Amino acid sequence: MPTLMINGQPHSVDVDADTPLLWVLRDILGLNAAKFGCGIAQCGACTVYVDGKAVRACNLPVGLVGTRAITTPEGLESADPVVQAVKSAWVALDVVQCGYCQPGQVMAAVALLRTTPNPTDEQIDSAMSGNMCRCGTYMRIRAAIHHAAGELA
Amino acid sequence: MTHAFSFLPAKRVSLSGTVTLTALLLATLCLPTHAAHASAAEEGTPGNTPVERGQYLTHASDCEVCHTAPGGMPYAGGRAFKIPGMGVVYSTNITADKQHGVGAWSDAEFVAAVKQGVSPGGKHLYPAMPYPAYSRLSDQDVRDIRAYLATLPTSASAAPKNNLRFPFSIRSLMIFWNIINGPTSAYPDDTSKSAQWNRGRWLVEGPGHCADCHSPRTLTFGLSSSKAFGGNTLNGWRIYNISSDPKSGIGGWTEAELAQYLSTGHADGHGTASGDMADVIGHSLRYLTPADIQAMVTYLRSTKPVSTPQDSVTFRNVANGDASLPQNSRGARLYASACAGCHLPDGTGRQSSFASIAGGRSLGADNGRNLIQVLVNGTGLQTATGVQIMPHFTGGGLSNRDLADIAAFVMTHFTTAQPHDLEKQVEQTVKERD
Ligand code: FES
Ligand code: FES
Repeated sequence: MPTLMINGQPHSVDVDADTPLLWVLRDILGLNAAKFGCGIAQCGACTVYVDGKAVRACNLPVGLVGTRAITTPEGLESADPVVQAVKSAWVALDVVQCGYCQPGQVMAAVALLRTTPNPTDEQIDSAMSGNMCRCGTYMRIRAAIHHAAGELA
Repeated sequence: MTHAFSFLPAKRVSLSGTVTLTALLLATLCLPTHAAHASAAEEGTPGNTPVERGQYLTHASDCEVCHTAPGGMPYAGGRAFKIPGMGVVYSTNITADKQHGVGAWSDAEFVAAVKQGVSPGGKHLYPAMPYPAYSRLSDQDVRDIRAYLATLPTSASAAPKNNLRFPFSIRSLMIFWNIINGPTSAYPDDTSKSAQWNRGRWLVEGPGHCADCHSPRTLTFGLSSSKAFGGNTLNGWRIYNISSDPKSGIGGWTEAELAQYLSTGHADGHGTASGDMADVIGHSLRYLTPADIQAMVTYLRSTKPVSTPQDSVTFRNVANGDASLPQNSRGARLYASACAGCHLPDGTGRQSSFASIAGGRSLGADNGRNLIQVLVNGTGLQTATGVQIMPHFTGGGLSNRDLADIAAFVMTHFTTAQPHDLEKQVEQTVKERD
């Protein structure tokens, strides 16, 4: 029965250690912002942070998380300048199409800008290639990341 | 209960090696000597009752992996062993079922089967069953194993009939094989070595039967002693060199790394066990006591170094961070989209230490043989916190060329290997999978 630290709150859940984190977030705790896309770490829709590092929740057994801090898209702080810049860039460039992949895209973009404040196209492609978008918003995502980087500079 | 890895493709296991009938028949060497007493190194086996000791020894001997068909009931047999040029041998039902299992056997018959390879009625077993190694166990050990097996659910199904080509279908030929390669026996402790080393030797050479996969075979399919633990190629996988050689074996690993690898299937800086070794960890080694793991490490580090260039890998330091992958080749772009999600651009593993491939020998050894096996067949490792899975990447939109490009990128990005003909290798591996 692991106790998980999610968005700063402890949550005790009664599941097997090999239950994927995404199942716990969505089905047990009702935190639905991280999406289920592929279930095999291929699409990035389920991206959350563990200790600040972007991970695929669909393929991460809760038993391996331990007491490390989990951040879901719900837990992104609006007051955080990087989060703010990414959100407003996403709105300004109207990135979203159907939206299904977008929580994962935003999580990946924020994580990228935290470590690489002014990424090149290549670096964006490298960091974002694990996040699929069925609607093909890739060009707008890339532009929005540049836009957010400009805001933060 | 079914096997944990039933989601992995059912695959026939083959034992490679050349057996020449002439060599078998010409063998007129002297019979091995049989020392009667057991080694004091055996005394470390934990457990207060015969069943407890038997359970420990059943794990240490890894009976379950071979005596269980993929997805089948544990110990009910039926796993296929394909022996090139000879045919297919199936493992037997060793549950206590009276008709199809070993329930009707006497203890003495069970001991003779495990230690001498002769089952009731004088039927000679094929040496896919590692009875030469198991002959290092004492009769009491084997009776304890039986006592434990008798506590498990029984299966009333018979294993499929072996399908061997003539003349290998003649079981009594094994009498000749045994003369050259056959049962050794328990041996006394080497008094010049520590108790720990002796326990380790017994675990590695007896129940653990490590050499059955990790030593190359001789012309008569016996285990090579001159190249002991120097690695082998089985079922299309490179079984790595585990001799003490610092470059091609395990001589460069620390004791702590070896112990971590044997007890969990992963060692930081060396990657994660996959394929058959993942089964060995998941069903056998992870149940051993820390003292026994340490004993195995002590013994393995003392073996004679054997150099095998195909196992030597030189790693590169790669840049870390999500933004660091080059985008200038197909393989690099495919790695970024299909692999980095779990393994990270620098290979250190996004999800967990088990996803860390940094330092893994498969990334460069033997022209990517095991890397391609893992891409084509996937692999799963049973751990204390559930099964860790690497899915296979065939049939899901990635072509053979894509997989070859990914392998080429991985090999050249993380190591100094110079891969060649990878697409052919992928094709071959995919063919063997079907
Ligand atoms: S749902 Fe987790 S990566 Fe696709
Ligand atoms: S916006 Fe529809 S999947 Fe990305």
